[in-house]
Amino acid sequence: MTTQGLRRLSVGQRLFVLAVLAFTVGPFAPLLIQSFAFRWAWPDLMPSVWWFEQRQISPFPLAWDYVLSPTSQVLEATINTVGIGVAVMVVCLIICLPAARVLARGHFRGKRRLEFVFSLPLLVPEAAIGIALLMIFIGLGISGTYPGVIAVHLIPTVPYMLRMLTSVYQGLDAGYEDCGRVLGANEWQVLTRITLPLLLPGVLAGALFTFLVSTNLFLLTFFIGQGKIVTLPTLLFSQISGGAMGATAAGIALIASIPGLILLVLSDRLIREEAFALGIGDT
Amino acid sequence: MQNLKKMGWSAALLTALLSAGSTHAMSDDEFRNEFLAGSMAWSEVESRAQEEGTVNFYYWGGSDIINLWIDQVAKPALAERGVTLNPVRISATKDTVDVIIAEIASGKGSGEGSVDMVWVNGENFFTLKQQGALWGSFAHKLPNSANFEWDETDPRSLLNLRDFGTPTEAMEMPWSGEQYVCAVNRAHVTQSETPATFADLKAYLEQNPGKFTYVKPPHYLGNTFVQSVLYAHNPEGSGADPFQNSLEDLGVERLATLITPGFEYLKELDPLLLGGPQGNPRYPESSSELDNLFLNSEVHFNCKFGLYGVHTGLITGTYPERAEEMIFPKGNMIKNKNYLAVPLNSPNPAAALVAINYFSSVEAQASMMAQAGMPAGVDMWTLSAADQARITEAAPPHYGVTQAELDANIAPDTNASLVDVIEGTWLEVIERGSNKPIKQVVADVVAGLN
Repeated sequence: MTTQGLRRLSVGQRLFVLAVLAFTVGPFAPLLIQSFAFRWAWPDLMPSVWWFEQRQISPFPLAWDYVLSPTSQVLEATINTVGIGVAVMVVCLIICLPAARVLARGHFRGKRRLEFVFSLPLLVPEAAIGIALLMIFIGLGISGTYPGVIAVHLIPTVPYMLRMLTSVYQGLDAGYEDCGRVLGANEWQVLTRITLPLLLPGVLAGALFTFLVSTNLFLLTFFIGQGKIVTLPTLLFSQISGGAMGATAAGIALIASIPGLILLVLSDRLIREEAFALGIGDT
Repeated sequence: MQNLKKMGWSAALLTALLSAGSTHAMSDDEFRNEFLAGSMAWSEVESRAQEEGTVNFYYWGGSDIINLWIDQVAKPALAERGVTLNPVRISATKDTVDVIIAEIASGKGSGEGSVDMVWVNGENFFTLKQQGALWGSFAHKLPNSANFEWDETDPRSLLNLRDFGTPTEAMEMPWSGEQYVCAVNRAHVTQSETPATFADLKAYLEQNPGKFTYVKPPHYLGNTFVQSVLYAHNPEGSGADPFQNSLEDLGVERLATLITPGFEYLKELDPLLLGGPQGNPRYPESSSELDNLFLNSEVHFNCKFGLYGVHTGLITGTYPERAEEMIFPKGNMIKNKNYLAVPLNSPNPAAALVAINYFSSVEAQASMMAQAGMPAGVDMWTLSAADQARITEAAPPHYGVTQAELDANIAPDTNASLVDVIEGTWLEVIERGSNKPIKQVVADVVAGLN
């Protein structure tokens, strides 16, 4: 938004923008300060001792020195988190695209009930199914492995993706595809030239959700990964169990938000460019 | 759960019977039997450990300085012995206990699990032992077991033989010895105001309402505070002694009589705790939450297992600058140990034994004290003069009190069978504010347990 745009807003609207900013950017401010703090106690507005003041005399690496040291396992966790997130996203799309097409276009008995059943995994708490799932996964021989963790991440992500893609499919008139076929396109061309481009905003939004949910799963990741597969959430949980947050936990929390942030920016761009190129939407 | 237990047992038995052997010359079961029977030389264990190669060590990873010690000291030391230490940092040991039990229940028996070694004590050890998920009585067979007192006739051996009242039967090796120590913020409390007894504490809180709280039972830190209150208010005047007996030996009636004065005190203390003056006493859920209240001067004291808690808090910035230790409650500072255990289905048991033997060496204990602020678990009187000096020199500093004063005020832990009853009584009397007589509450809780 340009400054001119801001000036045109009424006082109430400006306050609203401020409130939105406070709620979105606000939580990051104390995290950022905490990550550079050594001792930050109430009622001090700012830390009484900073990390860089203590750094020289500390007998061990503090705050960011620890976060960036190999002991923190941050690098390994980031690679695992992003890798698993991307894999979950791809597998989820492969499962959900055909399913959504049927749910959106098909007419059959019990469709409503089926849609409801597909949403059920969202209602079950992770803690309740973790152990039972672990026992099944042990039986299958995939506990403690990457395929196991990716499979278990599909449970809470498929319902999201399915809901999102179904509604996008519903908004997509089958007439477009028929037009293509009438004009001589084969099924592959219809899929890649017509259906997917029109679905892209929905696919991207669904993919983004899937990635974000996957990168935030703790308990299922811990149980199925048996602690051997370290991700940013499992790392963070071992740091903040108990409510207090130190400098290293704050640093890891900041790093944990980076993959999601990058994807958010990327997908935002893609959606805009695609929408613009195809000439739909109101821009 | 009952079913799970049964499944666990039968699965363990089944695999023990049918075990198909492994890549080693000797199967995991044969190795276990021979080692536990004492018919195996330590050098054989060491060479098997090198064949196994790796040891997966599951431990609470919330402390940066402990993580650093593991990576910088323990890892290279074990690498020299031909074993790769793979530290797996967890947020709650209970989660790992669940994983081990689930593995065994789904048929992953001897040698087929994922955890080689786990840092445990109290309830988690009790669960593993009860479910038959432990490898065996190995601890007194390690070379470095010489650094510990195992003689039952010596009362000092109690900390190695009993873990919160549960007999350890050498199924876990002591690692570190802790003491329940309270820290005081000297920015608010002068030397003369510092309480030494529970009556002093109450007097202080009447002057400064809301400036104390303890971790909420059934968290073991909360239970420990309650236990020390009960010891101090024991109407027979015998302190911790009767609390060493099991519920069966002590009897419900006698237990109720023993704990009534203590609970009367806790009831009187309740409105004086943090938030109490506003009518809503607040008990933190964990030790780190209490650390934070202490750092922010919301409370003036912080009681937890942390012989070097003040030192650690000061070097990590989690304690206020003027924190010091205090001797409180006089004569009733509870001491216990925490341990390293090997699960029944450890895939690398020999490597785990070599690692545990290293962790209980004087070399490892001294460096872990100095660098990670963890008190030594070895028993000083079993060591040579040179080793004793090594441990003493490695000890981090105390603030405001001496080690001798801390040693002079210790008390033992409470029998695990009583802990459940005391916990239940606390929840009824303090949490739910029941006005029933304590005797009645205790009887109800015991009836509810069976």
